[in-house]
Amino acid sequence: MTTVPHTDTAQPPRPRRPFPLGRLFAYLGLALIILISLFPIWIVLKTALTPTRALFTEAASLWPSEPTLINFRRVLGLVTLEEAQAAGGSGSAVNFLNAMRNSLIFTGLIVVGQTFFSAMAAYAFARLRFPGRDVIFTLFLIAMMIPGIVLFIPNFITIRNLGWLNTIPGMVAPFVLMTPFAVFFLRQFFLSLPRETEEAAVIDGAGPFTIFWRITLPMSQGPLATLAILTAIGMWNEFFWPFLIAKDEASYTLPVALQVFRTQTPQGVPDWTGLMAGTFVAAVPVFLLLVFLGRRVVESLAFSGTK
Amino acid sequence: MKKLLTLTAALTALTSSASAATTLQYWLWDANQQPAYQQCANNFTRKNPDITVKITQKGWNDYWTAITTGFVSGTAPDVFTNHLAYFPEFARNNQLVDLGPLIKRDKVATNIYYPGLAQLWTKDGKRYGLPKDFDTVAIFYNADLLAKAGLKPADLANLTWNPRDGGTWQRTIARLTFDKQGNNGLSPKFNKRQVAQYGYMTPYGAGFNGQTEWAFYTATTGWKHNNGLFGTKYNYDDPRFAQTIQWLADLNLKQGLIPSFQEVQASGGDSLFRAGKAAMVTNGSWMISDYTTKLPFKVGIAPLPKGPDGTRKSMFNGLADSIWVGSKNQDAAWKWVKYLASAECQNTVGRTGVVLPAIPSATNLAVAAHKARGVDSSVFVNQAKAKNGTFLFPITDAAAQVNDIMTSTMQRVFLGQAKAADVLGDANAKVNALFK
Repeated sequence: MTTVPHTDTAQPPRPRRPFPLGRLFAYLGLALIILISLFPIWIVLKTALTPTRALFTEAASLWPSEPTLINFRRVLGLVTLEEAQAAGGSGSAVNFLNAMRNSLIFTGLIVVGQTFFSAMAAYAFARLRFPGRDVIFTLFLIAMMIPGIVLFIPNFITIRNLGWLNTIPGMVAPFVLMTPFAVFFLRQFFLSLPRETEEAAVIDGAGPFTIFWRITLPMSQGPLATLAILTAIGMWNEFFWPFLIAKDEASYTLPVALQVFRTQTPQGVPDWTGLMAGTFVAAVPVFLLLVFLGRRVVESLAFSGTK
Repeated sequence: MKKLLTLTAALTALTSSASAATTLQYWLWDANQQPAYQQCANNFTRKNPDITVKITQKGWNDYWTAITTGFVSGTAPDVFTNHLAYFPEFARNNQLVDLGPLIKRDKVATNIYYPGLAQLWTKDGKRYGLPKDFDTVAIFYNADLLAKAGLKPADLANLTWNPRDGGTWQRTIARLTFDKQGNNGLSPKFNKRQVAQYGYMTPYGAGFNGQTEWAFYTATTGWKHNNGLFGTKYNYDDPRFAQTIQWLADLNLKQGLIPSFQEVQASGGDSLFRAGKAAMVTNGSWMISDYTTKLPFKVGIAPLPKGPDGTRKSMFNGLADSIWVGSKNQDAAWKWVKYLASAECQNTVGRTGVVLPAIPSATNLAVAAHKARGVDSSVFVNQAKAKNGTFLFPITDAAAQVNDIMTSTMQRVFLGQAKAADVLGDANAKVNALFK
């Protein structure tokens, strides 16, 4: 390595440094990893672009020989039933816009509710003093160990008795208040916040809610955003509970609506091309969410990591 | 006395609710059939302007979850397409309306269907459904691959099978199987570890009834699933059964002529056939339209091979429509079921060719519809008409448990982890213990 003379007014062109080989390898490695992680998404898209007839015979090729948009148009309900069937599609139609709207409401309510209420609970566990606090928190942690599947039946019966089948309240009820994980996650973060700020606020006359609302929450944007994004992704893809509650087509969320492309006859195969087109379109909102808010997640992870 | 009271209560409910406009919920699982039944529903509403039918389709795997939770929650559909593997349990839990008294009241003929179909839906003198369609099993073949191997469709018409050497059926499978060097399965140079094209594929379906997988083999050895409809004694320990299952497993394990259990599980059901990598597959008549219209090669239909008893035998299965006891529109529901089972609706469905209707004249319309597209589906109908050509679906209580036991046992055989003769006896004892 030659040392470059360093003067503020140096005009002569700098000798070009050779591109460091190590960095080249690092970029190649990164590119490879990106390719590998994008590959499944490409397969989804490729399948969605393949005509149904060619699906199985072209399974091994990376590019459809006759790409078509018919599958996307089928999913969005832009073709007639006859056209859809002629394209090898399902005899049932998906009301895509309605399902998209239901999914947005379902996910939105849960993300807002779960993040806010879990933050309140976590704050109570982290900062307030009340009898039995640690016992209750232990019970909370134990609740994390109960597999969700055993809760389905009691939850379902409760919702039925409330008369909330086919309704948004029925669909969001088990998720909207809190999950033990979210409370645990936020409590750990709140515990790490400097107490001095809050003590100063107390001296200034702030009560617990003011402290929570005006100090703790603004200081925790990163973790809150992380939680909100994780919840949003999870709920956007949630299938089983909405499937149990939404019996009527008008209340289907996207994953439930897309089931018309799943297995039909017992020995038949799913309508893969339609299913993949639907899945791809359904994944777009989550993708946008990550594009716009992903930086927040990275920041919050970096923040909690270097603390 | 109590029964009489509920009956009169039901009847008064029937007569009083008739005048108001009602919307019936009707569920089915096959999206391919939905347009045909929608047409039936439209015709039905034209005749009964006060009743509209709302059809909902749910995929096979989710359908039964939705129906069962619907019973519990009071949101099950008024009328739904029912399957023989599920109706006994529903009937036992008193979820289905006994159609018997209604049939008697309205003098509905139950002898207009293919013989045996209507009988499938009765239990202890009660009737839980009226037949809508039937299905039998046959061989679907890839006509291009057949021609490439120098075989003609007629060569598949009279195959014979036996569990010792597989007969001409196995030889045909071998002729249609090729390794990567191009040797077929009959050649001594055939390399079973590098197969490029299989002659046959079975979906394995390691379940309790083997409808499209093995039941058409086992039946020709004289073997029966159990001692009759709602049987309580099973015969999975019979040596004829073990021999047949072992033969099927060995087609892969020893000969390499069919894809392995793992391969079929991983790629799903019949996808190697769809990909043009397997020349023949056995499947039910409900797949006619799917195979003949949605694949990029010509698919033909051939009859099943004849077995040791000299006949070909297919399982005879049929679907029916059932009314849920919790339906608030019992009268309208009964009208709709009656219409679905009538010649008028079955003709409508038959003309689309999407299934083979339960009434013979409507079935002829379906066969004609296939013929117009250049597909000969008469094989399925001939099988249903042939003397001793069919045996009934083994309807059973505790179907789910029997299925669990047999699935895990047969999987071990198909995977080569156990010999059929060694493990089927135990499995049969477990199955029979369910009925004690």
